[in-house]
Amino acid sequence: MSTPSASPQPPFKPGVIARSIAAFSGGPGLAIKIALLSLTNGLAVWAGVVLVDRSRWIALGVLIAATLAIDYVYLAPHDWTVPAKFMVPGTVFLLAFQMVPIVYTIEVAFSNYATGHIATKSEAIQQIKINSLEAPPNGKQYEMAPAHDASGKLVLILHDDASGAVSVGTTKGLTTLPKADVTVGPDGVPTRAKGYRVVKGAELFALDPVLAKLNVPTAGDAAIQPQGVRAAVELRPTLRYDAGRNRFVRIRDGVVFKDNGKGAFAAAANPKDELEPGWKAFIGIGNFRKLATNPLYRDPFLRVFVWTLVYALLTVGLSFAIGLFVAIALDKKGMRGQKLYRSVLVIPYAMPGFLSLLVWAGLLNDDFGVVNKLLHLHIPWLFDPNWARVSVVMVSVWLTTPYFFLVSLGALQSIPAELTEAAKVDGGGGWAIFRRVTLPLLLVAVAPLMIASFAFNFNNFNNIYLLTGGGPYTGTSSIAGSTDILISYTYKLAIASGKGSDYGLASTVGIVIFFIVASISGVSFYRSKSLENMR
Amino acid sequence: MQNSLKRMWALVGGVAAIAAILASTATAAHKAINIVIWTDSDRAAAVTKVAGDWAAANGATVQVVTKNFGDIRDNLGTVAVADAPDVITAAHDWTGQLAANGLVQPLYPSAAVKKQFPAYTLNAFSYGTAVKKLYGIPAAVENIGLVVNTKLAKVPTTFKQLETEALAQKRKSHLSFGIAVQQGSGGDAYHMYPFFSGLGGYIFGVNHAGNLDPSDIGVASPTFVKNSGLVDKWNKEGLISSKVDGATAQNAFLKGQAAFWITGPWNADTLKKSGLAFKVIQVPAIVKPSVPFLGVQGFMVTKFAAGHGVGGAATDLVTNFMASPSAQTQLAAANGRPPANSNAKSNDPVLRQFSAASKGGVPMPNIPQMSSVWGDLGQAWVKSTKGSGSTPAKVAFKTAARAIADKIG
Repeated sequence: MSTPSASPQPPFKPGVIARSIAAFSGGPGLAIKIALLSLTNGLAVWAGVVLVDRSRWIALGVLIAATLAIDYVYLAPHDWTVPAKFMVPGTVFLLAFQMVPIVYTIEVAFSNYATGHIATKSEAIQQIKINSLEAPPNGKQYEMAPAHDASGKLVLILHDDASGAVSVGTTKGLTTLPKADVTVGPDGVPTRAKGYRVVKGAELFALDPVLAKLNVPTAGDAAIQPQGVRAAVELRPTLRYDAGRNRFVRIRDGVVFKDNGKGAFAAAANPKDELEPGWKAFIGIGNFRKLATNPLYRDPFLRVFVWTLVYALLTVGLSFAIGLFVAIALDKKGMRGQKLYRSVLVIPYAMPGFLSLLVWAGLLNDDFGVVNKLLHLHIPWLFDPNWARVSVVMVSVWLTTPYFFLVSLGALQSIPAELTEAAKVDGGGGWAIFRRVTLPLLLVAVAPLMIASFAFNFNNFNNIYLLTGGGPYTGTSSIAGSTDILISYTYKLAIASGKGSDYGLASTVGIVIFFIVASISGVSFYRSKSLENMR
Repeated sequence: MQNSLKRMWALVGGVAAIAAILASTATAAHKAINIVIWTDSDRAAAVTKVAGDWAAANGATVQVVTKNFGDIRDNLGTVAVADAPDVITAAHDWTGQLAANGLVQPLYPSAAVKKQFPAYTLNAFSYGTAVKKLYGIPAAVENIGLVVNTKLAKVPTTFKQLETEALAQKRKSHLSFGIAVQQGSGGDAYHMYPFFSGLGGYIFGVNHAGNLDPSDIGVASPTFVKNSGLVDKWNKEGLISSKVDGATAQNAFLKGQAAFWITGPWNADTLKKSGLAFKVIQVPAIVKPSVPFLGVQGFMVTKFAAGHGVGGAATDLVTNFMASPSAQTQLAAANGRPPANSNAKSNDPVLRQFSAASKGGVPMPNIPQMSSVWGDLGQAWVKSTKGSGSTPAKVAFKTAARAIADKIG
């Protein structure tokens, strides 16, 4: 690139970008600016109202600061905000769609976030208390009608279905009412009681939070608790929470459940005996240690890692080779039906991948699939570990080749014909010219795309999941099958591991995958720079 | 310049004010007694109708949110409190996972309500390592059965008859399998369960407290291992094949190639439309009764309901209203399943045949450890019934049992 000021007066032809910038600096530009800024502010106010409604004060502060900053950048008449005008939209999207998920993944990787550990500690304590309630021996169930007594205090008119007795329950206890004073409806719920005003209709539901706290004590620590608005049941706790000492005590036998520091209350004598639910807690490098030391996860991880590399490399390598070969074949000038061939070749790329994958899964069925039927073969495409690997690579190549065909075709046409002609004059043969001139020049353009394609196929979840589901399974591990790649292995860890789902461990594998892909891509980009120096 | 700037600030402020008004009306709307219900698209209309009747009678409102069935379970753990549902449609085998996560509330229906439901349907929704509690009210039940094409084969009364008839039909129509039961390379422990139970296998044992015991895994129980030679025999003669997937099994039966198909009430309409003469029965006993897995679907009250100030209302809707025979009939019919309430029998002849095939069935284990079982048990069947090159069933199921035990830990 030469500097523009160097030549006296080259005929300056403004490009698309320059022209659009020019268009935006006038009246239409101002209108667009106002519209977009107004939209941003409108969205911010809407988000603000929602945040206030949910009492998210920190988020609200961040929102206000960010919105004011954006307004300032676009409205303040300073020159130094000009670069920011270009940076802000990209930065906002980068933060929202890249940084937040990354930070969240890291946070989860260092926690025990999994089935049984998704609540906060206070929620878990609350739920343990609710779950620990049990009906005492001969515990009673009542049909219930909330009512106001003469002084306006809320009480419960309770009808014992079994004995037919009616009582009034307050926070002090239960008092029997004369049967004659109470009318009971056909469903057993009291409808009228002398001296009380029975609450009905919509007013009933408005009492909900009050009713939830209105417990009528009976014998011992048992109490009658409203369930809904028409029924009540006698329950007693089986666990007692000791907030001061941060532990639960089982009332029956005095067994103590202590906070085990790993998001659960566990019995001192038997650490496996945990109270459900637990809560989400920070566990440091626990998940990384599990991945590195527990053979259940470590052994498949190494095997799957090797296969992932092989799979991604084979897919990219074969697709590029075939794509390039076809591109060269179709690069001849004046070839007949060239457009038709090219269109046909692009079809696998143009079809939705999901569809092709499901169709392939059907085609490759070894008893009923078209492939075996047509070729009179009996290859267990999806049922034998090695054939399944072949199938997965084959279908991946089928899907990826058109991309490299298109890219190579474009790159080939951009190589100046003078170079190859000059090589020919110098006495180079066809193969030598291709290897020494065409291929290196081609790689300058295509190598970065190959790296991108490698990174994509390294994490090509759809291909694996829709074609083989990671199977077939061999050996003893059932978490990872023969064709599972790291990302599908991660998915399996996340949804079907041990006791439900283990998001913490899955996030840990996700982070490890990130470092693997990042270092491979980094090294490759560094090395492909040497190609660029040839220019 | 300064002037245009001022105008711009004014405009931006104006738009913000309008947005504020819109937002405040949107948030004001959900202050009244409003029950949010998550359900799937099949049931959305029926739930809207049933819950709407309740709401109209009680001066409340309901808001029905449609989700993919499986997403109801998965999203409940991640949803923001303000958007969270008060009531969900749920499958009974989610109970353990949801309760272990503390997401659903125990329910205490009256004795009068409870006695309208078969004991297993309530048991299916009960979970607790310390105190067993009921977390859901059943609404519909489902199970698979053996569909017999009565033109092609006699309705078998013994497994031997089934085997003979199926193999005869296999030879006649040059199929590679006798009984159309779906597996595919991913495996399908659910559809294979009648064979599994018929050979004496079980998933989890029951401990002294009456709870499912995840340390007692019966995937390779002594009885099953003793009888596992039969699996190898079926594999050799081609009675069942893991290469048959859902579509293959359905096609083979509907085209009149296979005389026996193992499927559930979700295909009742397909069967009726097929014009075939058929009957649904339980798979005949092998060495033990070949019982199917039972699935129960119902409704649960979430932990969010109390926080929304509608805990009592949601409990009332689920335990009193949705449990009633008339509500059950509507809710079950919407999904093409027999209702759970014994007083709300389905009149559909095909559904009644499926119900009859459930005799002695086992509810799918509802403890969270079950997620470690599906894949391995399905793969054991795939490995032992894939035709040539199959693993002996004894080895495949023992491997699976070990892998499951490792995962549960």
